[in-house]
Amino acid sequence: MSGATTTPAAEKRTRVTENGPAGEQPEGLRARLAGSPVLRLVGRRLMIVIPLLFVVSALVFLLMEALPGDPAQIRAGMDASEEEVEAVRQQMGLDRPGHERYLSWLGGALTGDLGSSVVSGRAVTTLLGERLPVTLQMAGMAFVLSIVISLPLALAAARRPGGLVDRFVMVCSMTLLAVPNFVMALLLVLVFAVGLGMLPAIGFVPLAEGVWPNMRSMILPVLSLAVPMACFYARFLRGDLVEQLNAAAYIDTARSKGTGPWRILWLHAFRNSSFGLLTLVGLNIGALVGGTVIIERIFAMPGMGTLMLEGVMSSDVAVVQTCVFIFAAAAVFANLLVDVMYAVLDPRVRYGSH
Amino acid sequence: MAVTSPPGSATLSPAPLAGSATRWSSFRRRLTIWISGSVVALLVITCYLGPFVLPIPSPVGGNVLDSGLSPGSPGHPLGTDVNGNDVLSRLIHGGRSSLTVGVVVNIIGLAIGGTVGAISAYLGGRADSIIMRALDVLIAFPSLVLVIVLAQILGPSLPNTILALSAFSIPAVARISRAATLKVMSMPYLQAAELSGSPWWRILSRHVVPNIVPQLTTFAMLGMAIVVVTEGALSFLGLGIPPPRPSWGNMIFEAQQSMSATPLLVLWPSIALLVTVLSFNLLGESIRDEVTGR
Amino acid sequence: MRSGARLATMSGMLNATREPAATSNGAAGPILVVDDLRVTFSRHGRVVHAVNGLSYQVRPGRTLAIIGESGSGKSVSVRALMGLLPPSAHIEGSARLDGTELVGLDDKSWRAVRGCQIAMVFQDPASSLNPTMSIGAQLIEAIRMHAPLKRREAAQKAIDLLKLVRLPSPEKRLKQFPHQLSGGMRQRVVIAIALSSDPKLLIADEATTALDVTTQAQIMELLVDIQERLGMAVIMISHDLSLAACYAHEVLVMYAGKAVEHAETRNLFSNVRMPYTKALLDAIPQLSTPAHLQPAIVGGHPPDLSALPEGCAFLPRCPSSTEQCRIEPHLAEHEPEHAYACWHPVSRDGSCTGQKEERP
Ligand SMILES: Nc1ncnc2c1ncn2[C@@H]1O[C@H](COP(=O)(O)OP(=O)(O)OP(=O)(O)O)[C@@H](O)[C@H]1O
Ligand code: SF4
Ligand SMILES: [Mg+2]
Repeated sequence: MSGATTTPAAEKRTRVTENGPAGEQPEGLRARLAGSPVLRLVGRRLMIVIPLLFVVSALVFLLMEALPGDPAQIRAGMDASEEEVEAVRQQMGLDRPGHERYLSWLGGALTGDLGSSVVSGRAVTTLLGERLPVTLQMAGMAFVLSIVISLPLALAAARRPGGLVDRFVMVCSMTLLAVPNFVMALLLVLVFAVGLGMLPAIGFVPLAEGVWPNMRSMILPVLSLAVPMACFYARFLRGDLVEQLNAAAYIDTARSKGTGPWRILWLHAFRNSSFGLLTLVGLNIGALVGGTVIIERIFAMPGMGTLMLEGVMSSDVAVVQTCVFIFAAAAVFANLLVDVMYAVLDPRVRYGSH
Repeated sequence: MAVTSPPGSATLSPAPLAGSATRWSSFRRRLTIWISGSVVALLVITCYLGPFVLPIPSPVGGNVLDSGLSPGSPGHPLGTDVNGNDVLSRLIHGGRSSLTVGVVVNIIGLAIGGTVGAISAYLGGRADSIIMRALDVLIAFPSLVLVIVLAQILGPSLPNTILALSAFSIPAVARISRAATLKVMSMPYLQAAELSGSPWWRILSRHVVPNIVPQLTTFAMLGMAIVVVTEGALSFLGLGIPPPRPSWGNMIFEAQQSMSATPLLVLWPSIALLVTVLSFNLLGESIRDEVTGR
Repeated sequence: MRSGARLATMSGMLNATREPAATSNGAAGPILVVDDLRVTFSRHGRVVHAVNGLSYQVRPGRTLAIIGESGSGKSVSVRALMGLLPPSAHIEGSARLDGTELVGLDDKSWRAVRGCQIAMVFQDPASSLNPTMSIGAQLIEAIRMHAPLKRREAAQKAIDLLKLVRLPSPEKRLKQFPHQLSGGMRQRVVIAIALSSDPKLLIADEATTALDVTTQAQIMELLVDIQERLGMAVIMISHDLSLAACYAHEVLVMYAGKAVEHAETRNLFSNVRMPYTKALLDAIPQLSTPAHLQPAIVGGHPPDLSALPEGCAFLPRCPSSTEQCRIEPHLAEHEPEHAYACWHPVSRDGSCTGQKEERP
């Protein structure tokens, strides 16, 4: 075989071109942190998120101004005379101009004073301390459950697209997806509480009174939230996995190594599909938070949603303001978290892309 | 060496697509569109024409003496509710409210959101980023939370429900419209139109709008489902369409009070909601697949 | 330098042609025997005949190039050998690898063949590696698939393989991800994966098409070098006739899912007999010819594979067709070591090589 070896010139060219794109990683912890694309990304996102939250808080304040009902009147009582109401108004500082009140609310919020409920007179922070854990537990469990349900279903369906399992999963998820969570809640109550009498229809038992009673009171609300979400995720993930399996060349490489179908599915395809799922989950956090409001109402759970609804109905401005702001902030931070996780999980972001 | 590239590659005329690969799936998709489309049409006809054509009693002002009649009672095929009102009639009138809210909210969303998104993308630069940041603020709120607060501010009524729901419909449509417009704007024919000096309104109306409308209508189908559900939730909470005017949401709420005694009263509006949402979802998904040619 | 040949006219290409049959392996029997291979895709009434009775053999240490225009069934025919066709494909005929029948293998047996006996390198190095897994993980997965090695031993073998494919600083690469490598480096990794279990047959489906010309030459040199060291058989698929002329021992020309000409490389290019092959050769742009004088591309369309006519598939586009061509010509060794399927082969003096050599 004449001339099979490359000339030295070609060899040199190889070195030059092939070392080009693979830049050296800076050494040392400090340099690594400063140069870390993940940290840079977090920084960039915070630059957007923090101003956004200020604007959101201002909008919430504006909305509260428009809420019907006069807080001074409520505090003073319905049969109070006009002078008494006026006195309460001054005492509450409600006679001051709007921007002053916003700034003082903001100042208070930043120092941990969120005002107090005009209805019960209790501090909003105290109320939060009671209510937030309930909602967090419920939303957290629903979130985890929706993922735990959807992943195996999507993987099983994608194993044989068009097969029996796939069709079953797709039809069921399409149908269940069309059941709004408040309807799902009532149907679950009808079956498991009214019909079978297995679980309590309403009410919440705190964790302090035992893990099992607490879980029993959580099962139906969590299911009502989780099932429609799980269907949504399963459908998305299944579609993305099938697309990867059909179209991605790296799947062919993996197959031609002799890798088995399940390993290809969960190791190769799923890793790539997980990024799309992550984005979807982040976008869906808002829906989850909104869902807790109505589900707490149905199951009479003493959480943030009920607190907000009660506040809305009774024009309890300080309470509603805080609740709405926390809901919005939760959704915003969930999305930030998703972006960061994305960056940590995706090597193309983690090591900087070219 | 690069000069020879593409080196000796046999540049023959490309093969025409052999075998329409997806005949069966496209047939199934068409079938889905037809079936779900028919169900939607049936729903619309029943809810809007039914009250004039069908021999059903008024949805309100029933006699308490007639309350709680079981399905199949004379004159009340689905029975009566606790107030003695005919359930079928309330379902039909409730559906009318839901569909009206859904359609109007989507039209508002498409008209305002669609325009804002398209213009924002078209203008680009500073204007675009200001508009998008403003939308970000609205989108930051979990939709139901924002709608609840707005509904309470506006007070419960049908028009106010529509206004409150538009608050999340507009930014959502605006985002989609913006993304679609950006895509169209990167197309060569649009750049050609710009270079040939067409005025901006002509470019928007001749090139951009016809290209983003299919995508937006698809979204509107899925949007119908979302709006109908959210209206149901709002009315369920007593913040949407006020009783005695029927809506599926407030029917479910009323029935919930006596759920253990008369579970059917919860089921009827739930089924109506499910069928509506399912057919709009199916219609939207299959039209989207048809448009994107998957 | 072999890549220099790429610039040259056909005569230049011929000078660079690989010598027929490495003598040491010349006597060995074929490692792959493909016999009347047929692949159809049926989709509700319409049947696409992608491969229609393909037969060839490959001996160890030899390189077979399969060429033909887009859609002629090159990829489908080799994917059938890897079991990589979708379930909608129906495969008939026979393909025996070292005595093992590949047609009709079940999923389990396929896994034992793939990677272990046959390996494949794909067209696009940008997408044929998993972007979310490190190079090491992907290479070690391949190594451990067929050998019961410990992680550490597998990592050592991975480094050895990366050295074999001449990837600079192999230790460092194991921790890197595909996006951190250039296209040529990625293709080296894919080749390393393919070599991980000493396959008897390596299939390169347009392995260099996506690379720039310099890298293309380097990768081809690498494949040739490794083949000579390991003595495996190689099937290379290409659009690029000059590439085939440079690196293959023999060339098989496909048209509409059939072999239409098959011969030793030197023999084929110096003595083209099949009008389709001639058309392909004429379609090569010549640097020395101004663009407007370049020969026309092969006129007409490739045939509809779901409605192939009786007779020669090239008939509608063939300049030398006659009535006789309505009867199908069969591939046969009309001349020693030179098989073609044509009733009216191109005559020697009309052969394209002759014409081109006269060009200034
Ligand atoms: N999964 C499939 N379903 C239906 N038809 C297919 C499928 N895969 C390939 N074909 C058809 O088989 C024929 C041969 O395709 P193949 O990919 O083998 O061509 P090729 O010679 O490799 O072309 P190229 O040079 O473009 O890679 C084409 O007409 C194609 O339409
Ligand atoms: S058989 Fe006839 S039609 Fe076919 S290539 Fe030969 S001359 Fe042309
Ligand atoms: Mg191919």
